[in-house]
Amino acid sequence: MTRWLSALLFLFAPSLACGGESGYTYQPTELKARPFLDAQTVATLPTRSQVEIVRRQGAWMQIRTPEKREGWVRMLSVRLGNPDAKPSGGNFLSVIGIRSRPRAQTTGTVTTGVRGFSEEDLAKAEPNPAEAEKLKGFAAKPADANRVAQTGGLSAKPVPYFDEDGKPLGAKK
Amino acid sequence: MSAPRNGLTAAVVAVVLLGGCDGGGLNIQNVDVGSIVRSVADLRPVQEPEEIEIGQGMLETLLGARPLLDDPELQRYVNGVGLWVARQSERPDLPWQFGVNDSDHINAFAAPGGYIIVTKGMMASLRNEAELAGVLGHEIAHVVQKHHLRALRKNAVINLLSEGASAASSESRHKEMVEMLIGPTRELYARGLDKSDEFEADRMGVVLAARAGYDPYGLPAVMTTLAAVNPADSYLALLYKTHPAPDARIQQLMTGMGTRFDAFAEARQNATRFQQATRRLQLAER
Repeated sequence: MTRWLSALLFLFAPSLACGGESGYTYQPTELKARPFLDAQTVATLPTRSQVEIVRRQGAWMQIRTPEKREGWVRMLSVRLGNPDAKPSGGNFLSVIGIRSRPRAQTTGTVTTGVRGFSEEDLAKAEPNPAEAEKLKGFAAKPADANRVAQTGGLSAKPVPYFDEDGKPLGAKK
Repeated sequence: MSAPRNGLTAAVVAVVLLGGCDGGGLNIQNVDVGSIVRSVADLRPVQEPEEIEIGQGMLETLLGARPLLDDPELQRYVNGVGLWVARQSERPDLPWQFGVNDSDHINAFAAPGGYIIVTKGMMASLRNEAELAGVLGHEIAHVVQKHHLRALRKNAVINLLSEGASAASSESRHKEMVEMLIGPTRELYARGLDKSDEFEADRMGVVLAARAGYDPYGLPAVMTTLAAVNPADSYLALLYKTHPAPDARIQQLMTGMGTRFDAFAEARQNATRFQQATRRLQLAER
């Protein structure tokens, strides 16, 4: 019974959590009126301020505070989960469950038994040439890649690599 | 052809002996075999066909640890996105292959020559295609920079492989190469690369995703997901063992990216297409 209950919870929890993700500021963070560095600073949120994530846009996150204050903060200033427990205490499934990612398998049966890729699995791995052959069959051709780009509204841009200080690097071999 | 054959057998033995000795120095009759093999290996660059064959050999063992997920549509989708990103790299014409394996754990790895595997657990933890592009970009960077090849070279495996390479017909040669690579593959993917290689792959992954037209903050967003998972979670054990902590990676990316990537604010995330492609994913109950 408990098992079924937890199975059901597992299936529906993500959709219940559809309101969005929550997190907290990892450092003192400026709350901006708009997602630009030169936008007006509405407030400075102290470290470990709780935030509700409304949406993400590039380097920025639109957030809402418990006091219903809204604005934009740098995405990398925010950590997901509960500010009172770091790590959030959540296991992996609960962490991805706090997200609003819709999952379609509401009618599927829950698979039991974790399929790992652990150190132990690696230690006893034997070659599986048949799987490698199967993978080859899924390989894309340049035309497939171009179609992915076209249908996805993606266009190639020249962007230089950068070093650890953020200095752009020349063409790399 | 008995002479090269014996050479190959000796090479296999040497690989076994050297497998776990990380620069420790293996002395046989006062001769440091490791250093000789290493110096020879350093003199000879690995040719691309050889690199691809080594990667193929490692792939076979990696897929032996966990087979592919039975979801052809998803596999083709990941290959399309992956190749589009890889085409923006300095090695666009490698025979790039991308796969999702049937593992609940969160991880992704690359093998020389353009073979990249992402776990089902990793796929399930991603929000959109820009995050996928960032993860694949990170792995593509390992291939472009030949990080794994260099790690193998450190263990003197490369030279031994090419010593064996001339020994026999291509089919049996490949089989022998795969056999020889089992130990080094198990060891390398359990130990991981140098931290500096991982940080470099993060920086390059961000750029490759941006070049491909994606939101460059996909990979950093993945790091924030990882940072939220309890490090003691067994699903992340191998990833944590083989990579710097997510907080350190976020910190490095913040410094490196600065504000230069703010110009990409309108770049694509393609969340709808990603969710459509991953709709059949199921993870085990815990």
